[in-house]
Amino acid sequence: MNNWFRRVWHLLNRSRKERELVREMNEHRESMHDPSKFGDTHRLLEYSRDAWGWNWLDDAMQDLAVGSRTLLKSPSFAVTATLILTFGIGLNLTLFQMIQVGMLRPPSIKNADSWVRFLRSAPNSTTSTVPYPLTQFVNDNNNGVLAAVIVEYQSDLAWGRDAEEQVNASFVSSNWFDETGYGAERGRMLSETLDTRGDAPVVVVSYTFWRNRLGSDPNIVGHVVYIDRKPVTVAGVAAAALPGLDFNVPEVFLPIVQREYFYPQSALLRSWDIEAVDMYARMAPGTSAAVAREAVRTTMQAAAAQHPEITRDEWLEPLLATNNFMRDGERQGVLAVISLLGALTTLVLVVAAANLGNLVMSRATGRVRELGVRMALGARRTRIVRQLVIESVPLVTMGTGGSLLFAWAASTTIAALGGFPPYMNFDIQWGTIVVAVGLALISLVVVGLLPAWKIAQQHLIDGLKDGGQNVSRTLDRTLLRRIMVVSQVAGSCLLLIVAGMMIRSVQRAINSSAGFDYQRAAVLSMPLGRYGLPVDAQRSYWYQVKERLLANPEIETAAIVTAAPLGGRINETNYNATPGLRTMTQSVDPEYFATMQIRLLSGRNFTANEPDAVIVSRRLALEMYGGLDVLGREFPVSSGDRNATPGREQQVSTIVGIAADAHSIKVDANDVAELYRPLKPGDFSTVELIVRARTDADRLPRILREAAMLDPRVIPTARVMHDDFDRRMQGPRMASAITGGIGMLTLALACLGIYGVVSYGVALRTKEIGIRVALGARQPALLQSIVLQVLTPVGIGAAIGLVLAIPTGLVLGSEPFYLESTDPVAFAAALAVFASAGAVAALWPAFQVLKRNPVDSLRHS
Amino acid sequence: MPKVGLPPGTLILLILRVVRPAPLHGYAIAQRIRQLSSDQLSVEEGSLYPALQKALANGWLKAEWTTSDTGRQVRNYRITAKGLKQLETEQDDYQRMADAITAILEST
Repeated sequence: MNNWFRRVWHLLNRSRKERELVREMNEHRESMHDPSKFGDTHRLLEYSRDAWGWNWLDDAMQDLAVGSRTLLKSPSFAVTATLILTFGIGLNLTLFQMIQVGMLRPPSIKNADSWVRFLRSAPNSTTSTVPYPLTQFVNDNNNGVLAAVIVEYQSDLAWGRDAEEQVNASFVSSNWFDETGYGAERGRMLSETLDTRGDAPVVVVSYTFWRNRLGSDPNIVGHVVYIDRKPVTVAGVAAAALPGLDFNVPEVFLPIVQREYFYPQSALLRSWDIEAVDMYARMAPGTSAAVAREAVRTTMQAAAAQHPEITRDEWLEPLLATNNFMRDGERQGVLAVISLLGALTTLVLVVAAANLGNLVMSRATGRVRELGVRMALGARRTRIVRQLVIESVPLVTMGTGGSLLFAWAASTTIAALGGFPPYMNFDIQWGTIVVAVGLALISLVVVGLLPAWKIAQQHLIDGLKDGGQNVSRTLDRTLLRRIMVVSQVAGSCLLLIVAGMMIRSVQRAINSSAGFDYQRAAVLSMPLGRYGLPVDAQRSYWYQVKERLLANPEIETAAIVTAAPLGGRINETNYNATPGLRTMTQSVDPEYFATMQIRLLSGRNFTANEPDAVIVSRRLALEMYGGLDVLGREFPVSSGDRNATPGREQQVSTIVGIAADAHSIKVDANDVAELYRPLKPGDFSTVELIVRARTDADRLPRILREAAMLDPRVIPTARVMHDDFDRRMQGPRMASAITGGIGMLTLALACLGIYGVVSYGVALRTKEIGIRVALGARQPALLQSIVLQVLTPVGIGAAIGLVLAIPTGLVLGSEPFYLESTDPVAFAAALAVFASAGAVAALWPAFQVLKRNPVDSLRHS
Repeated sequence: MPKVGLPPGTLILLILRVVRPAPLHGYAIAQRIRQLSSDQLSVEEGSLYPALQKALANGWLKAEWTTSDTGRQVRNYRITAKGLKQLETEQDDYQRMADAITAILEST
């Protein structure tokens, strides 16, 4: 039997084994002539335990018991310390939990390591969607590198006999469920053999949709439901755990081959012009992404030879499922964001642990006499360190338990508030527990080991003579203590500045939205292309609807635009002349500026039939031309400009007006400018209509829908713009509230730290201060001498925090945060908050002692 | 002549040696050492037990409860294969040390 195993076995059966030993020794003693010579059984038992090597465990258990008892005796300290650790570790765990579940785990689909998503790439541009016929072409001609091609096309559809509700739908290839590896909760999933092009239309509903909208109807399979007013049979209910291929899980799935049943005129399945579907593929076993890319490049060239819509230099770029279908750049961006958030939460842990370490050290100095006695009795320094560290174990354990609860509660709350898809499960996983234990060990080093090591280094035995005063004073002045104060101040200062930046950026977004008025606006959408209306018919349809709406007394103005503010897909260009600026191009009709209340600063509005006129925003004019004197000047053509009219040479555009900055598309971004072009005939398949109410926008959606139903086939949707705004601001608002909360909590921790240091220093010097007061020292001089001891570490800490805030701000200034990177107001506000809170924390204990009667202070021992 | 104490570190050696022929209980081990050394070596009764526990912990001995000739419950210690090897090593070590000491003492 292995020695270790034998020892552990003995430990497990120790009480029985020791009873046997005592019995054996008693037998021996009774057999002796002179039993008194045998010696003390207890002492021998102790020596025997030594032989098995478990005495350290007994000591540790004793120390643990002492630690727990001490905590029980001072419940306020126990609660404070547990909360500090819960907060410090919990925040890190929450982040870990969110990253693990939401970002780094590949989608849970069958054979995830051989899945790719294809992007359509050309030397100067990349689009995420491809024409449907191309997917079929690649499926049929890929030299065997792809085992399956999976297609998804998301769109909002109407649900119900009278199209009274909306559903988030996906038209998918019929192999979608087989390939992702999810079966049915009820009924069947889509099938390549059953659901072919044609006449028996079916739908699969998601589990959540079945539960929430269909009342978990057990007989739903086989039922006929109405989608975009067409009858469809429910084939099945998908499994509850079914994930989406991106963050979006559709509510209903329809076979894409049956799309023409809904929209007989739609060209989606046939046109090589419409880039609409998301294309995924499962690579054949043993194929790498690089091999697949090259093989499919040949396919693309073959496609280009037959179809003029594809050019010869295009290829399909594969993105791996194991990288969450992210491009390298995106993935690095996400990792950068994660690292930054990780750094900030680590900072919180540093502040929390330093704070607690300081508290523990202050408390331990009250025990100098006790520790001195132990050393005088022969305990070694390592034994003292061990004792103090083990005494901190219950504290750290409680904090870790609390932090796991914190992480679970926080991530579930964020998931609920942020509307995360239900397949993301935020229950605590083993990985999170492992990280929690790791962080707990690090905290134990700061909270237990460092203070213990520092205390054990002192002349503890000398402490017996003067009641430990000298040792306490030395500890009060140690470098470790100062470092702890410095790190707390630096950390909380930095966090406050970041919180300040985030709060300011939300404010700025709200203010910048003053550049356009969304409060009284509503938006009408209807994808007329679906119903096969020719471009001219689409155009006249839109203008008829606009006329009808303008006749309504509720409506002040109406405008047609390619992308309504706060939503809509938009063309984004980086011009060489303005490298740091993203230009958002919208095609608008002349009423747009009045409808959105965007002022024209100079020049004029569009007039009829001037396709090459543009209106630039103030910022675009300033950055591109260095001034506002730009009327009549030429505007550069960008290579990726999709507004180019097909079949016509792109003409140079002329600037006819300057509009006020509106930030209407990306309200929370600070590196954007707007460019307006007049509407062209080709735009009408993707436009939306915006109306401005005379009084209240909330009544508009119904009016908009009614006005749009000129053709009974068309199912319009309408929304009020302030809902879009609230949705857009939800994330930044939540983030800044969370960061602000974290900033305030760390500030409270740092103030607690400063308060602790000052009040401890004051307590040590009570007698001295009493003498000085009795001798007539003046209060300001005394206050100064008391506060001076924290002034240097606080000053250094604040300076470090400020310096660190600059690079942090620069990172936060770019995607996806867009904060004002060197926002002086955020800096100043953070410092002001910190200085006032810090001053209160430092002066409070000082005033307390000065208020005391000097005679009482002199009696203090 | 007064009895001599055991040289340090030799108690385990002696215990392993006396239980080699047959299993013995604690009291018998002490008696046997005294007897074999013609009353010259005395094992402090008490210190025997920590040494026996050490031998058990290292797997050199195995203990089992039996009834003695006098009808008492006793715990007999039996040497294991590992114990035999240990005995051999310790015996060699001891022999070398004794030879070395003798060589020094007999030098001129």
